[in-house]
Amino acid sequence: MAWNEPGNQNGKDPWGNNNRGGNQGPPDLDQAIKQVLDKLNGMFGGGGNKDNGGSSSQGSGGVFGIVAILLILFLAWKSVYTIDEQQRGVVLQLGKYSRTLEPGLRIVIPLIEKVIPVNVTNVRNAELKEEMLTQDENVVEIDLNVQYTVRDPVSFALRVEEPERSLQHAAESALRHEVGSTDLNPIMTDGRAVLAENTRLRLQDYMDRYETGINVSVVNIKEARAPAAVQAAFDDVQKANLDKERFINEAEAYANTVIPEARGKAQRMLEEANAYKDQVIAKAQGEAERFEKLLVEYDKAPKVTRERLYLDAISEVYANSSKVLVDVEGGNNMMYIPLDKIVSAQPSTQTRNESEDYDISDLTDRVINEIRNRNSRSSSREVR
Amino acid sequence: MSKSIISLVALLVVIALLASSLYVVDERQVAIKLQFGEIVESDIGPGIHFKMPFVQNVRKFDQRILTLDSRPERFLTVGKKFVIVDSFIKWRIEDVKAYYKATAGNRWQATTLLSNSTNKGLRDEFAARSLTEVVSGERDELMREITEKLNVITLRDFGVRVLDVRVKGIDLPEDLSKNVYRRMSTEREREARETRSQGKEIAEGIKADADRERTVIEANAYRDSEKIRGEGDAIAASTYASAFNKNPEFYSFTRSLQAYKDSFNGKEDVLLLKPDSDFFRYMKEATQN
Repeated sequence: MAWNEPGNQNGKDPWGNNNRGGNQGPPDLDQAIKQVLDKLNGMFGGGGNKDNGGSSSQGSGGVFGIVAILLILFLAWKSVYTIDEQQRGVVLQLGKYSRTLEPGLRIVIPLIEKVIPVNVTNVRNAELKEEMLTQDENVVEIDLNVQYTVRDPVSFALRVEEPERSLQHAAESALRHEVGSTDLNPIMTDGRAVLAENTRLRLQDYMDRYETGINVSVVNIKEARAPAAVQAAFDDVQKANLDKERFINEAEAYANTVIPEARGKAQRMLEEANAYKDQVIAKAQGEAERFEKLLVEYDKAPKVTRERLYLDAISEVYANSSKVLVDVEGGNNMMYIPLDKIVSAQPSTQTRNESEDYDISDLTDRVINEIRNRNSRSSSREVR
Repeated sequence: MSKSIISLVALLVVIALLASSLYVVDERQVAIKLQFGEIVESDIGPGIHFKMPFVQNVRKFDQRILTLDSRPERFLTVGKKFVIVDSFIKWRIEDVKAYYKATAGNRWQATTLLSNSTNKGLRDEFAARSLTEVVSGERDELMREITEKLNVITLRDFGVRVLDVRVKGIDLPEDLSKNVYRRMSTEREREARETRSQGKEIAEGIKADADRERTVIEANAYRDSEKIRGEGDAIAASTYASAFNKNPEFYSFTRSLQAYKDSFNGKEDVLLLKPDSDFFRYMKEATQN
């Protein structure tokens, strides 16, 4: 016998208990949920009602709908990525590299794909200022500047840890290597360009070997100078060069004064000699002609001319001098003649009555000779 | 039982299981799978992978080229010269298993091991070379040798490949560098002194030449002027002679008269005369005897 026979209105269970209260199942979680969901439904109005069918389980569909829509919006937002013109996007799909994105608005699979942006056009700068050893065991202070760009964004982002720090280290190493292979002098003077180029090549080699994806565009040595401790000595070398030039210039200036002066003096000497020569010849010619003219007259009347000349001359002599006429016959008579009284009584005169030309020219000669003697005395002092 | 609860719970459980059985290895990493601490799979590359949840776990390591930048160290070179070397090492994990075994994945541990090995290698190589060799061109050689020798050890002992050992700087310790500075200074001083002396020498040469030339010019001028004067004197003398030779006695007479006049021309000249010269002829009497 079944425990619930048809027609039996009192539902009996096998144990004979009566179930009252109609359609009761276990105390109603189902019911409770439905009530909550209905309430929620009521709150959100019609939006969630799209997916509502008749059954209670579909009451929760409304919330899921909202969540779904939010999720979809969120995912949509996450799947669109803007790549700047300066950048490229390195895409990792579930950790694995999948592709590189070009600039623009790009689509990625959200959550699964991750984008690492890398700036590839920006020219980056690294600076370096160090003292280092040269090949000939000297020390030089170098101020260096490196310009670089990212050539391969994948390598830059994925292959090396801290690629820019790697570049800094590598630049130091490259520079020191190159400086260590060069002597001090070329570095400080004309070897700088070569040094910079060698450093660039070496640095680029390192960058490639370390898979950094970096392209070194320019290596520039801004300064290469002696370390501060010895700068003074180096500066002095410059000064010494200037001094050397100065000494030479001074000497040349001296030469440029002395030689023209000497030439001038020489010229003067010759001029004076010529003048003397002309003068002496003229004087001789003058005197000779004077004598010859006199001779002509003398030859015409020799005795008279002779007597005249003689008397003129002697009378002048006696007239100008002090005389004592002693008219005594020989013998040993002592005479007292106060000569000094006679001399001092008269003012001493040196009268030259004759003002003939050749005496004035004689005077001129003597003046010129005196001047010349003085000059040659002073020049003979100069000439060693 | 209500289906939705079950399904919710079931969903959560599934999610949990998934979470602990799926893992992602990044492009920059390499992973190993451990089961109860023992390595069961190694060298796991990038992408998404599966493991047994809870029982197995995964350790990930940086697969990129890494840099070890150690502190500057002192090394001795041939000739007892010390140098202070600042180096860096480029390395990467090559054998993950060995790496994990040696370092338990602790990077700090790894760098200590690595730097010890490297320093030993550097020390040996530097001790065999002179300062010049170390500083200059043979560095490439030196570094390559060091790298190769290092790799033998590092690969074997802790699964690390050393790509490059590079010297960032070789510097002299303070006392040596003072010597270098002093030497540089004295070299420059010597150069400066030499230059100045050279300048003075050349200057003296120029001056001496100028003086010599002046002397020569003046001497020549003197010679020439004397010659000219001589010519003048000669011509004058011959002029005189040719004139006076016409009557030498008369010349002698007139010239003597002139001489008397010039000699006795002042009152301080005293003549003591006897009146028996021809001049006094007419003093005694009016007629000539």
